[in-house]
Amino acid sequence: MSPNSNQTTLNREIVVDGLWRNNPVFRQVLGICSTLAVTNLVLNTLVMCICLTLVTALSCLTVSLLRKWTPRNIRMMVQTLIIAFYVIIVDLILKAYWPGMSRNLGPYVGLIITNCIIMGRCEAFAGSHEPLPSLMDGLFNGLGYSFLLLTISVFRELFGMGTILGWGVPYFSTYWDKWIIMVMPPGAFFTLACVIWFCRGYRQKSEGAA
Amino acid sequence: MKDRPWFPVLYMFLVTAFFSSIVIGFATFTRDRIEANRQLDFEKSVLDVFGLAEGKSNAGIHEAFVGQIERDDRLGVYVLKDGGRFALPLEGKGFWAPIKGMLGVSADGVTLLGISFFEQNETPGLGGLIVTDKFRGQFAGKKLSTLERAIGIEPFGSEIGENQVHAISGATQTCVRLEKIINDGVGAWRKKVSGRKADEPE
Repeated sequence: MSPNSNQTTLNREIVVDGLWRNNPVFRQVLGICSTLAVTNLVLNTLVMCICLTLVTALSCLTVSLLRKWTPRNIRMMVQTLIIAFYVIIVDLILKAYWPGMSRNLGPYVGLIITNCIIMGRCEAFAGSHEPLPSLMDGLFNGLGYSFLLLTISVFRELFGMGTILGWGVPYFSTYWDKWIIMVMPPGAFFTLACVIWFCRGYRQKSEGAA
Repeated sequence: MKDRPWFPVLYMFLVTAFFSSIVIGFATFTRDRIEANRQLDFEKSVLDVFGLAEGKSNAGIHEAFVGQIERDDRLGVYVLKDGGRFALPLEGKGFWAPIKGMLGVSADGVTLLGISFFEQNETPGLGGLIVTDKFRGQFAGKKLSTLERAIGIEPFGSEIGENQVHAISGATQTCVRLEKIINDGVGAWRKKVSGRKADEPE
């Protein structure tokens, strides 16, 4: 095998791991705190996911770039600093150029710092891998998180308000008796549990068949 | 060098200095813009209760605000230069965070023109619906009652009078707090008006 094809296999593994096989939400069960808060409107979720994916990818890249110089005993401090740096930048960009969305997301953007996925990936992957694979790993873990969060938010907005991205859905916006609980925080618990249940159940079945 | 005991300290110091200076630089770069956004939200909210904000660009809103609105410092309200219609500032605690807004009142001091919000952080999809046209539209044409409870927000579907509007179902807390915010605002304004009348020579 040439080193080039090795690289390709590694990249493919990173993509599949991040999106499905080692999905941060239903496999690693990381970062579900924010799942509860922002998933009741698809638009808010979408922006939150974009922010998180960017922060994760760039933090992983930076941690990886600095990994050879960072002393082991203070690596967590350095990681937190890097993550906080990107989050503040994202927050400032939203405040300055998209104030409406910054208002919608309220304090949640700042709380990306505490999202366990970022630190988890920095610690588990970026600290011991080359910059490019680390960037990919961060990016695809972010996308894996986004795909699950968006699934949850589609169900919550649809059942809770009868709309998707604010647009009325036929039947749901008219005859459907809206489930208010779905847009309240507890609704996220139920939806998250069902989605994790479904994904894990499906995975087991496909693994059993293979 | 990496094994020296002082290395982690120096390293942390350098890394922190590097990232902090970028953040500080960027914050300085965006500060004016963020401040302008905040001011714009406020100006838009004032114009909105007079129905003047619609279809205007950001620059148009600022121009209209500067040109047509005057602050009455004694009553703490924003007066539209022609006709004496005014916007009464509202401020108080919402369900999660402060709610700030404007209540438009016509020159008679009784009939409402509208309501708008420039700061709120209520639950999206529930209390957050106070910013929708559907909810806000109810206020136009309502008349303030002379009682302490000048405006009432009543449960959805109930009979309502000329000083009452319908609540958002599922957002009881937001509506209860909003009702208090409006009535406190109106109460404070009335107190100032009666204070001023007492000062004036007969």
